Amino acid sequence: MKRLTALLITVVVLAGLAAACGPAPTPEVKVVKETVVVEKEKVVTQEVQVEVTKEVEVVVTPTPEPEAPKPTGKIVVWGWTAAIRDTIEASGVLADFQAEYPDIEVEIVYYAPSDVYTNLPLALTAGEGAPDVCLVENSHLAEYVHLGGLLDLTDRVQPYLDKMNEYKWYDCEKDGKYYCLPWDSGPVVMYYRRDVFEAAGLPTDPDEVSATIATWGDYLEACRTIKEKTGAYCFAHNKANNYGRLYEMVLWQQGLGYYDPDTGEVTADSPENIGTLEMLGQFWEEDLVSDALEWTDPWYAELGTVNLEDQPIATLIEASWMDVFLKSWIAPGTAGKWGVAYMPVVEEGGVRASNDGGSVFVIPEQSANPDAAWAFVEFCLGRRESQLKLFAISGFIPSLETTYDDPLFLEGDSFFAGQKTRKIYADVVAKIPRAGVYGPDYNMMNGAVQVAIQRYAAGEVTAEEGLKEAAAEIRANLE
Amino acid sequence: MALEATIMAPTERRRGLWSQMVKSRWAYAFISPFFILFLIFQFGPILFSVYLSVVNWKGLGAMEFVGLKNFTYLFGAGGKAFRQSVLNGFILFFMYVPIMTFLAIVLAVILNSEKVRGIKVYRTLIFTPYVTSMIAAGFTFRLLLEQKGGLFNIALEALGLPGVPWLESVWWARVSLCLLVVWGWLGYNMVLMLAGLQTIPRELTEAALIDGASPVQAFFRITIPLLRPVILFSVILSTMGSFGLFNELMALFYYTRGSGPMRATLTPVVHIYHEAFDNFRYGRASATAYVYFALIFVLAYLQNRYFGRED
Amino acid sequence: MTNLRSLATQIAVYSLLTLVAFFMILPFIWMLSTSFKPQDEIFRRPPILISPNMSLDGYRYIVDLGALRVLWNTFLIAFTSTALSLFFCTLGGYGFAKYRFPGRGALFAFLLGTMIIPSAVLMVPTYIIMLKLGWLDTYWPLIIPGAANAFGIFFMRQYISTISDELLDAARIDGCSEFGIFLRCILPICTPGLTTLGLIFFMNSWNNYLYPSIYLKSPDKFTLPLLMMQMQGPPGYSLYREWMGVAMVSVVPLLALFLIFQRRFTEGITAGAIR
Repeated sequence: MKRLTALLITVVVLAGLAAACGPAPTPEVKVVKETVVVEKEKVVTQEVQVEVTKEVEVVVTPTPEPEAPKPTGKIVVWGWTAAIRDTIEASGVLADFQAEYPDIEVEIVYYAPSDVYTNLPLALTAGEGAPDVCLVENSHLAEYVHLGGLLDLTDRVQPYLDKMNEYKWYDCEKDGKYYCLPWDSGPVVMYYRRDVFEAAGLPTDPDEVSATIATWGDYLEACRTIKEKTGAYCFAHNKANNYGRLYEMVLWQQGLGYYDPDTGEVTADSPENIGTLEMLGQFWEEDLVSDALEWTDPWYAELGTVNLEDQPIATLIEASWMDVFLKSWIAPGTAGKWGVAYMPVVEEGGVRASNDGGSVFVIPEQSANPDAAWAFVEFCLGRRESQLKLFAISGFIPSLETTYDDPLFLEGDSFFAGQKTRKIYADVVAKIPRAGVYGPDYNMMNGAVQVAIQRYAAGEVTAEEGLKEAAAEIRANLE
Repeated sequence: MALEATIMAPTERRRGLWSQMVKSRWAYAFISPFFILFLIFQFGPILFSVYLSVVNWKGLGAMEFVGLKNFTYLFGAGGKAFRQSVLNGFILFFMYVPIMTFLAIVLAVILNSEKVRGIKVYRTLIFTPYVTSMIAAGFTFRLLLEQKGGLFNIALEALGLPGVPWLESVWWARVSLCLLVVWGWLGYNMVLMLAGLQTIPRELTEAALIDGASPVQAFFRITIPLLRPVILFSVILSTMGSFGLFNELMALFYYTRGSGPMRATLTPVVHIYHEAFDNFRYGRASATAYVYFALIFVLAYLQNRYFGRED
Repeated sequence: MTNLRSLATQIAVYSLLTLVAFFMILPFIWMLSTSFKPQDEIFRRPPILISPNMSLDGYRYIVDLGALRVLWNTFLIAFTSTALSLFFCTLGGYGFAKYRFPGRGALFAFLLGTMIIPSAVLMVPTYIIMLKLGWLDTYWPLIIPGAANAFGIFFMRQYISTISDELLDAARIDGCSEFGIFLRCILPICTPGLTTLGLIFFMNSWNNYLYPSIYLKSPDKFTLPLLMMQMQGPPGYSLYREWMGVAMVSVVPLLALFLIFQRRFTEGITAGAIR
């Protein structure tokens, strides 16, 4: 008996030792892993060894990066129709994504931007009801990053940090962590009607226009001429419901803003800010601008007016994404009559670039499927081919700089009489300065300054009084 | 029972009280739903709101205790919007309440007399707006008040008068809002007055008229004073209404999310809504709501005190 | 009132009545008219009342948008909250009207006092409570809190106090339980009052915008006012015709109810004023 037990024990122990030390049942995975990751030379030497003992196929082919299986599951995407339906879907990028990731089900919910900005923060604070992927404009991005509830994407966006426009990262960074992947930027240019310029005796060739209207002083002169010779208004600048967007664009161009991005100090009432508002006020005083409010019917009407006699609006200072709106539904009848020039500067020597808008994708922390969500986001915005496809069908210039060398940028646009507009957009994007316009408190700052602009326009206060009040309100709010 | 209670000894009285309560347990059961719901959905929130008003909270993360800062903020530079909203409440009140109340009384008197034909039809027509959603009505008014092609301006121009920037200028925006509010509430107030009139015996006014008073005199000397309680009720409701306008503003002034041009039509309730759901300042919104509550309470009290039953 | 009416007075009176009535009706007419007009005719001068190009396109558009679903949601919420509220308010009113119990006076005064609390004060904390309860984006916040409300109880108490006590005592002698008395005697007798109060509750729920906008987030749960507000906003031309279409859908059912139950409506609102 004792001997049998001893034998049994020995057998068990030996078996155990054999199992622990002997070659593992399917070690090829383990071996291959080491092979691929560690050093290239080892591959050669090991290859031979392994080839002898195990199957060949698995070893020879290098394994692709995701050792983990492709993400699956359902994701919900929130965004506005112009971006999702008319761009991601219409360009075929969504179909490409589904082909590559057939096991990910994408459900899209269309929300207007204002609805996104109501529902997203509520869902974030409620801890439930948020989508897996959400489209957010840069203006509101910082607020949500600081609110909390967004997934930390720092590791995932590492490869893209130096491939995207630098300024796009400011709003989605907090304490060294990143919470978004940028889509497009909003380089500001001046759209102008060639036919109106011609009738006013101004040059119509884009380079000449950019040279003639180089500063806002030049712009004022040109507007006077246009009004005199054609009776048309120069651009739209509403008084009573002014959103402050044009004002922000001009501030951004000078590297100014509501606050100093380095010190955080509120600059809404700085002398330069006041001067900028007064400069815009000059156009009101001389009745050179129309009173249409952007994104309302009268504004669409004056942009879409085809005939000269009906007095279309002469120029529009806006970001590059505006062109697809003009082409598709605002002013399709005016094809061929527009041109794109650089925006004028306030001070001579200033950089002829500014930003308006631009969006990113974010992933809320509560997403049940972060890997699938990231797969979607990276596929659409991180891949050169996807971004180019999106850009080809819209004016959303990619923040992904690796796309800028594509021949797409050298194509002429018939809507702009054959001008190579994309080149200009790319040129401006590279020069967008750092400014304290967007930020975690953008909504509040913009709201306070809006009222100041409206009151100034109505003649109730001087620019200085209005902005000083707004700045006081902002400072009180930030305490 | 009551007599027994007075001559019973204290302990026996208490036992009497307890047994009374037990006897009435069904009554307590029947009225309990109100008090339960009140505790959960009104009392609880009010207590919580007191706590909220002394913290800073964005809905996520920590609540930061800030003492009375949310309240002092309302009186400093940052509270401009709130102060404007309170001012607007007063302005709007004086703009439409006197006219509307007076008109309601006049119409009620007319419709109360039997000398007018088609009373039922008129009464129905005038009361109809009350059942309409103010959002739907607000949208319709936006169409009617549209500066370039709205019906109102077309009518004005047909009469040779210039069109009016109904929704774009500060004072006209207030006028537009008053038009909408009067449209929606005149019928309601008129019916209130009608009911009040029915409590006034006819003989009083008839006697006065026989004595040689003119109808107008009878109206001012007899009818109105006797209607006082109803008028007071209506005015108090209108006060709370003018500070609490919400639906109307959201529908009329969409571009400014209810504030109106340069905050001309902002009301306290809309402002609190902005603070809470647009700016995510739950602490400040709660503090603001308390100040608002205090204001309303004081106004109602004053109105009751000075215009309430004096006879 | 005097028997002599001069012609001037008559003209004045009828003019005033007609003017006011016209002003009240105008928006409805315009709503109806616009809901059939193509975009370019809406602001035409001179104004067009009955469009020669009348079409149902506006209505088709909003149906595609889900207006029928939204109509159903609105109805469901209004109906449920009304039924629940009627039950509990009648119960409470009965308790206050027909029972004597210690503290009745104080409790009733307290109930009346709560009517002065403006809902704005409760807006924020109630929202947070609903959030914690997990009731966001559900219909519960629109139905439960108002189930036993002060106004309803006050109204029903006034109403029930007019019912004779003998009737109730007889039922008790017959062996009815207290709750049975409520179900079998009180409720049936109160039908007219219930109708009145029910109409008011229904209307308030139907037209409510503030609370649905705070609590409902998914488009397929929206109520009619929410749908109207959501249809706005850039980018795109303003859909005036479609807005009016939704407005019509929202207004017509209540108008119909009102025309049928006119008297009840007016009875309901006067209850609070006359004590």
